Amino acid sequence: MTIRRAIALAALAGAGVAAYLTVVHYTHTSPICTTGGCEKVQHSSYATLAGVPVALLGLLAYVAILATALVRGVAAALAGVVLALIGVAFSGYLLWAQLARIHAICQWCLANDAIVTVVAVLCIARLLREP
Amino acid sequence: MSRNRLLLLAGAVGVAAVVVVVLVALGGGSDSKGVGAASTAATREPVERSFLAGVQQHGDTLGSPSAPATLAVYEDPQCPYCREWALQTLPSVVADYVRTGRLKLVYRGIQIIGPNSEQGLRAIYAAGRQNKLWNVADALYRRQGAENSGWITPAVIAEAAVSAGARPAPIRATADTAAVTADLRAAARQAMVDRVQGTPTFVLQRAPALPQQLQVTALDAATFESELAAALQ
Repeated sequence: MTIRRAIALAALAGAGVAAYLTVVHYTHTSPICTTGGCEKVQHSSYATLAGVPVALLGLLAYVAILATALVRGVAAALAGVVLALIGVAFSGYLLWAQLARIHAICQWCLANDAIVTVVAVLCIARLLREP
Repeated sequence: MSRNRLLLLAGAVGVAAVVVVVLVALGGGSDSKGVGAASTAATREPVERSFLAGVQQHGDTLGSPSAPATLAVYEDPQCPYCREWALQTLPSVVADYVRTGRLKLVYRGIQIIGPNSEQGLRAIYAAGRQNKLWNVADALYRRQGAENSGWITPAVIAEAAVSAGARPAPIRATADTAAVTADLRAAARQAMVDRVQGTPTFVLQRAPALPQQLQVTALDAATFESELAAALQ
């Protein structure tokens, strides 16, 4: 599997999680949850940014990363790295918020944290190797 | 691995860091330390109340007035179990029953835990004049401190009101009026009629049947909704 293909697959997985949380937000439903804190996290103020659901922003970011994976070249690789690093850093901030402020853990957020970390590692590897 | 690529990577890290700082500054969460007396840090975050958005609310009633069933919810803003139900279960009850028009909820605030509860209850009922009763009740739960620690203060109420989209000044002005006192007394009287012995207590009514306490074995959403569904059959 090429590294661009691996990035695309990981971005699709991340987009799936983000899409589910976006639907949960707009349909006012409860997310499937085994950690017990998903509802609390998804209804906290940390779940939106300037009125926009963070899940929707994540979905757009994953779609953008997917787009960079479909294009060859250093510019596309660099764009993917920037987006992925933003995702990792902001996900880290949200993880801190869950632990220190909300005192609840959302399994979907943890899944996203893992996926975006994998995406970032792959994007960095691609940038360093892209011809 | 060329030096240029490493420089590009370093640049990417820098750009990402700047963007994330901006995002955090714009972020919906905020650190509200210093407001209120004994609230725990866990409950201080301002509230995004998307689960109440667009739901009809009038006074103490949440949901359509024509809903065939009514669930009266006896609560005390200092009650930890009430908080648990409000934060973990109420959103799904609203989504599955209130928004669909099957059920309306009626807030019955009663003082169970201690004198400080009255201050919270007065603010909650005063917020009902702005049709924000349920929003303010929720916002207070998110700021709940230790029982009888005096955490319900005017500052906490004001902050909760703002986060709930209510106007704090009218709440302050009407909280101690005879009208709100009448609301509290009516809830207390009805609690005696319904034989309420603690909070939260849920009383379900579907005309022409008499009101009956909903037998609840657990407050989590799955169990509560299962028991509510059975009672509504």
